[in-house]
Amino acid sequence: MTNNISYQEALANYKAVAERPLPEVNYEGLLEKYHPDYFKDACVQLKIGPNKGDICHIQLAEMLQADARIDEADLAGAQVIETDILIIGGGGAGCAAALTAAETGARVLIATKLRLGDSNTVMAEGGVQVSIEKDDTPQQHYDDTLRSADRSVDKTLVAEMVMSAPDVIRWLIQQGMQFDLDEYGDLLTRKAGGTTAPRVVYFRDYTGLEMMRVLKEAVRSSEIEVLDYVPTVELLSDEDGHCTGAVLSSLEDNRYKLVKAKSVIIATGGIGRLHLNGFPTSNHFGATGDGLVLAYRLGAKLRDLDSFQYHPSGLAYPQHLSGTLITEGVRSAGAYLLNAQGERFVDELQSRDKVAAAIMRECAEGRGVDAGNGIKGIWIDTPGLELKNPGIFNARFPKLIKIGKKSSIDPRKQPLLIYPTLHYQNGGVIINKHGQTNIPGLYCVGEVSGGIHGRNRLMGNSLLEIISFGRRAGIHAAKYSPRKPFRKVTIEHLSRLRRELMLADMPMDPKGPILFPAYAKFETDSDYSGLHKNIKSK
Amino acid sequence: MNQTTETLINATINGKAISAPEYLSVIQALWHAGYPRIKSVGCLEGVCGTCRVLVRRQNSQNITTELGCQVLIEEGMQVNFLAFPTPAQQHYKLEDIRNSWEVQNNFHTIFPEAENCRHCGGCNTTCPKGINVEKGVILAAKGRFREAGDLFTECVLCDLCQSACPENIAPNHVGIFSRRVTAHLHTRPSNLINRLERLRKGELKVVI
Repeated sequence: MTNNISYQEALANYKAVAERPLPEVNYEGLLEKYHPDYFKDACVQLKIGPNKGDICHIQLAEMLQADARIDEADLAGAQVIETDILIIGGGGAGCAAALTAAETGARVLIATKLRLGDSNTVMAEGGVQVSIEKDDTPQQHYDDTLRSADRSVDKTLVAEMVMSAPDVIRWLIQQGMQFDLDEYGDLLTRKAGGTTAPRVVYFRDYTGLEMMRVLKEAVRSSEIEVLDYVPTVELLSDEDGHCTGAVLSSLEDNRYKLVKAKSVIIATGGIGRLHLNGFPTSNHFGATGDGLVLAYRLGAKLRDLDSFQYHPSGLAYPQHLSGTLITEGVRSAGAYLLNAQGERFVDELQSRDKVAAAIMRECAEGRGVDAGNGIKGIWIDTPGLELKNPGIFNARFPKLIKIGKKSSIDPRKQPLLIYPTLHYQNGGVIINKHGQTNIPGLYCVGEVSGGIHGRNRLMGNSLLEIISFGRRAGIHAAKYSPRKPFRKVTIEHLSRLRRELMLADMPMDPKGPILFPAYAKFETDSDYSGLHKNIKSK
Repeated sequence: MNQTTETLINATINGKAISAPEYLSVIQALWHAGYPRIKSVGCLEGVCGTCRVLVRRQNSQNITTELGCQVLIEEGMQVNFLAFPTPAQQHYKLEDIRNSWEVQNNFHTIFPEAENCRHCGGCNTTCPKGINVEKGVILAAKGRFREAGDLFTECVLCDLCQSACPENIAPNHVGIFSRRVTAHLHTRPSNLINRLERLRKGELKVVI
């Protein structure tokens, strides 16, 4: 165990200075040695399913290869609901898909595990990437995305996304979303780490909140039907392998509902609440990767299952706020990162994977700050930024000021202790430009899908992706669904899953999707009528 | 800083006696003590508005409304989680408002209760974000939508103001309507519009 420098001593080493030169930084082998994606034993080979033989994070593999929560007997007598388009997930991607599809007159139902809008979208702070500055182009946006991805991406998806970005912003404004504007009414832009031009448009450090409450309000004031508190536990299929609906489980009355749909759009987001490698997370309580599990079982192919984003600036101290995000906007505005000796150690606007790995290197080599109880981290030099740019925190980062109040630390006067926090699932379900998967009738949009971010996502590309691809899936599903007939609904694909599990000699006791993190004690819930329990009486 | 023994705090949450370390929020404390809690849990960062709680602090007559993820456990504190029934909502489409002269009349059709505000201040008292909700409603009723909307910058749509209003005004939705209509009718950034035009003319392409 490396001995880092104590909080008090490190604080004494710290002095607010407006300008600090960047030291020589060695990036050679940095990721391989310090990024959690490369941790030994972090990954295994999948033994069953469409990605059999592929490398996958061990915790995700356990879920992808888990048994289903239900069997035939559970469906007897279940309430049946019919709709043209079923959308699973009520975050930004789901709402964008729903609003777009409903505009055409299609019947749309959103089913969400918690409440509409309970999502990672609402927590996003930084902004949305869109090339609108004079000396910026969609090509540069494309090039930056590819360079930072550090692995093959689906180039068509990236090209489609960057070209649609300006129209995405226009659509958001039409829905009633506000952005920070300059004195002439132009959109203000800031620079994201790993990019060549200022390209992120934003609303304070509340970009996701502003986006989500506008979309939520648009959905709630429309004809779109919304079911809250109904986690999806299984998809439905017919004999030809089409996706034909889903099985929902109500947290209200402990009953299953069977939704027959002509198209299903999965928009369930990411998996931060699995706390991969024991990391804290910046993610929403419901981010447990349900969509990945459901789609995989039905035969949808996934990609990049060993690649996750650890956001460099998760709050490390105080403990009750551990994992809370400090937006990259603070670094992009010019805040430095300093080790316990009060020195810079990385170009703060390098891509997120490198900055995160560099922070872990400082702490592994004894230059980190030790705050006791196993808490370690490095400083984000907020007082230095305030010195350089007086008033910037009040004007641009009100959420951070609030976080400071809860921590009893004024970020304008004292630096905050940060450490990387599990932030984003880079890979996911393989889709085409309409959000279609290889399963007919099944779409995936947003964080649950893969192919756009490679091994590292740029700030502002996720809020762009959810709207860009949410709208595409909504348009496509609405065009092809309403005239189609309903198909047969079965859970025949579960026989295949169970056969495969048996043949691979895999355990049958883990059940998925897990729906909630273990510490919420969902499976032993006695407070209110919960979900069907999978604890079989022995 | 390097504390080895943790101080445990005793509080009552949903009628259950709980002991938990002082640095935990009331949600974390409930989990810590081994009780399940799924509903009324959301972002855990104070922006989703799900985890509404009633709080009475030791030796206080006052009951406050707060967000559970934002309240640290205190000695003798009594906490009750509030259920979250999603109330019926106004139906409207921004597209149906054809120009800015019509907004005010449209507003009063959508929110007929808004002009009945009794100035009781209940909405302000319940707001966990300290928003001047009542002023926002009055501004909106007078057609000052930009000014009204600005007051709701921090609103997380927790609906507490709605529960508090004796006239059944939905003040938070008044606020979001005000914000939306302002952007919908008035946000017209020239840098965005120029870029959209260049794309429309096919001047910008991406080479894969």
